[in-house]
Amino acid sequence: MNTAQIVQRDNVAAASSDEALIRLEADFAEDGRYGLRTMEVTTTCVRILEPGSAQSCVVPISQIKTARNEPLVGGGRLEIMTHTGDFIPLVSYSLSVAAKFSEAARGIEQLSKGEPLSINLKHERVRCEKCGRLLPDKDGVCPACVNRGKTMLRISRFLWPYRYRAIMLAVLSLAATALNLAPPFIQGSLIDSVLQQHRHIEKLWLLMGAWLLVLVASSGVQICTGRLIAFLAGNIAADLRSAVYRAIEFLQLTYFDKKQVGAIASRVTSDTDRVWGFLVDGLPYLLLNGILMLGIVSFLFSTNWELALAILAPIPIVTGISAWYWRPMSQMFHKVGQKWARFHTHLNESLQGIRVVKAFAKEDLEFGKFQQRNAELRDAGVNVDTRWYTLFGAMTLFTSMGTVINWTVGGLMVYRGALTLGEFWRINSLLMLLYGPLQWFAQVNQWFSRAMAGADRIFELMDMEPERYGDSGVHKKIEGEVEFEAVRFGYDKSNPVLKGLSFTVTPGEMIGLVGKSGAGKSTTINMLCRFYEPDAGAIRIDGVDYRDIALQDLRSQIGIVLQEPFLFNGTIADNIAYGKPGATFEEVIAASRAANAHSFVLSKPDGYDTMVGERGAKLSGGERQRVSIARAILHNPRILILDEATSSVDIETEKQIQEAIGRLICGRTTFAIAHRLSTLRNASRLIVLEKGEIAEMGTHAELMEKQGTFYNLVQAQSAINEIIGVGAAG
Amino acid sequence: MTESKLETKNLRLFYEPKDRLRLTVEGDKSYLAVRPAWAAPLSHPNRFLSLLNSKGEEIAMVEEPSALDEHSLAAVTTELERRYLTSTIRSIVEARSDFGATYWRVQTKRGERDFVTQSLQENAQWLGERHLLLIDVDGNRFEIPDIGELDASSQKFIESAL
Ligand SMILES: Nc1ncnc2c1ncn2[C@@H]1O[C@H](COP(=O)(O)OP(=O)(O)OP(=O)(O)O)[C@@H](O)[C@H]1O
Ligand SMILES: [Mg+2]
Repeated sequence: MNTAQIVQRDNVAAASSDEALIRLEADFAEDGRYGLRTMEVTTTCVRILEPGSAQSCVVPISQIKTARNEPLVGGGRLEIMTHTGDFIPLVSYSLSVAAKFSEAARGIEQLSKGEPLSINLKHERVRCEKCGRLLPDKDGVCPACVNRGKTMLRISRFLWPYRYRAIMLAVLSLAATALNLAPPFIQGSLIDSVLQQHRHIEKLWLLMGAWLLVLVASSGVQICTGRLIAFLAGNIAADLRSAVYRAIEFLQLTYFDKKQVGAIASRVTSDTDRVWGFLVDGLPYLLLNGILMLGIVSFLFSTNWELALAILAPIPIVTGISAWYWRPMSQMFHKVGQKWARFHTHLNESLQGIRVVKAFAKEDLEFGKFQQRNAELRDAGVNVDTRWYTLFGAMTLFTSMGTVINWTVGGLMVYRGALTLGEFWRINSLLMLLYGPLQWFAQVNQWFSRAMAGADRIFELMDMEPERYGDSGVHKKIEGEVEFEAVRFGYDKSNPVLKGLSFTVTPGEMIGLVGKSGAGKSTTINMLCRFYEPDAGAIRIDGVDYRDIALQDLRSQIGIVLQEPFLFNGTIADNIAYGKPGATFEEVIAASRAANAHSFVLSKPDGYDTMVGERGAKLSGGERQRVSIARAILHNPRILILDEATSSVDIETEKQIQEAIGRLICGRTTFAIAHRLSTLRNASRLIVLEKGEIAEMGTHAELMEKQGTFYNLVQAQSAINEIIGVGAAG
Repeated sequence: MTESKLETKNLRLFYEPKDRLRLTVEGDKSYLAVRPAWAAPLSHPNRFLSLLNSKGEEIAMVEEPSALDEHSLAAVTTELERRYLTSTIRSIVEARSDFGATYWRVQTKRGERDFVTQSLQENAQWLGERHLLLIDVDGNRFEIPDIGELDASSQKFIESAL
């Protein structure tokens, strides 16, 4: 649908002036309908080509002042301002290609300023080359076309460590099948050579003895296979889950922004379940029943092909019904699953928010919602179950039909002497073994696809580019010099949040980051921790591009107190020691003292052994913040980051924490973000961000003198403080 | 800054210069590069239109855009069409759920379009009994205001996909 192409030259000047440097296809026509329009950028102009190459708009580069992507609802528009003040909305496009046009807009600006073209536009595959389907992830795998064989091979690699047991399982299962077949044959010979003839009673004892042996052997085999399966299932499931979890842990944060935590968690649980379920239960079941059925059918035909034909006649009907109804049935089962999920989500939410529900006295409203979900669930369940039992009944009819046919046709044959009673009995017993697994065979394909889909999702995760953790980056001890050079970044590539930040921080400086909510303060910090990487520009630490520093080294020397402190369920001491496993209790206490957490911890009955609850819910907001400050302090980083670290504590406590931190940070580079500007009075320099750009930079005094943005912020805040003061006094 | 109660009948909207929507409040002042934005496009369609200045601050809230004068209404409608690149689905040509993704081919007000959705749990949102919003893997939005008004085969596709 939307392909993009870039023809980039190292040397722009060498390209002839008419050659397109950038060529992008937009997916909206001028009248707002879907259609293709092409935007071409050459060294001299930007032009729009309508389908059929008619040129509808040309803007000379020399006239362009700015070019930008204006985010619209469901897409964007490339807008150009000319030097003469004209405004040109050039072309509109959907979100599928907006990121590319945003890059192109940057490219156009670079050209208009006479700079070399340096943008990052790569060709992305949006459709599968094989089947032409749209790809769920650009440049990703087509879920319909992944190579089944290859996936199977990769799955079976998980069997490798247990190969001897797996082989044993296969052998034992074969034995079990063979043993299953024995009783009908024993019964057959018994009828023919003893019961019918009314003599050779000694043979009866012999045959019964054999039967008993078979029974004992088959229970023995059954016990062994059961134990083997338990072992294999447990181990393979655990291996799969660890492998998936390990892969997820190292994924880049951008992945976690896009996916809901629930969806990721389900890959660890349900997708792995599908895969090992198939490996351990499905695969042997399939193989054995396949062999069994083949064996039985060929035996039937070799005994008496006419009878065989007659009794097998209902089989196509049974498989047919099963195949025909399977898809709608499985969709209905799926729907029930979704209704369960909806039900659970609501239940969870309303229980978690029970305080809000009670505070607003909305019990009845919530009950109403609950009833609705509950009714949906009931209806879906009833619906699927009634159908299922109807279908099941019909299937049973046709399977029993085989038996009736056998007795009719076979009975007739026995009566006429064309078949011995023993042969008839044998066939009858085998028939039972045949029809049992048959009902399930039509679902095998679905079963297989589900397992493969699960496997694909797992492997997709494992194949995704991880953060380059242990890679070859240099190991170094960080001094603390940080340099941002024209750093650009956007969570959504068509909408930059940081627009070219440049600053240098010398080791040991304390930098205060200020700016309105949403200005990009936390984002700047995210870049520094390399949670995300800049789209353009560079970040250097001690003069080294930070992408060349081993990630683990980098992060272990940065300590961060996040805006929303997250504590793990455990004791306070565990949480503080998180940044330095093996820390002594004395160190924990020292860090806690420094963070001014010590006294509140002591006031808890269990002191440092107090459980903080899920996400630290049993502590107050300010207490959580102090614990996480202690955690960062104990981590003993070279670069300390405090993102609104003291926003939830009172001014008095904040002062104390600050003094403590002040002592601690000497010699360390510190970035502190705060809305309460008084928090930053110790900062050596302040950086004022405004909509992703640096508005001002300098010491507190310099900025106050300048009477710019920062001055206004301070004025506004002290005005508010006065109001609060007056309110409190009155 | 906030003149919260501006009378709708005093508002004039027109393009000046070309492609730039301008708002003049009768007997008061004029705003350049005005951006209209629906306050709640899904739950209150065609009502509560907010007019924002170039900084994104609200100038006025028009509760009933139909009360604007004819020319203003035409201008603002054009601008809204340019700014809301969402699609309304008229019929579903095909919807196949395969391997965790759903492949759609739909007929919309803007013409035919193919798209893929993943995890419909999150990306098919019911805004009402029969009001559905589909969000594809790129974040594009496709709205079905009333399932009941689609033809039978489209309804069947939705029924089986969701
Ligand atoms: N994970 C994310 N995905 C998409 N957009 C994001 C994400 N995180 C932040 N943003 C957006 O990026 C912009 C900058 O956010 P950022 O968190 O850096 O602001 P901030 O300056 O820290 O604000 P505050 O003072 O409120 O914490 C905001 O518009 C925000 O909506
Ligand atoms: Mg923030």
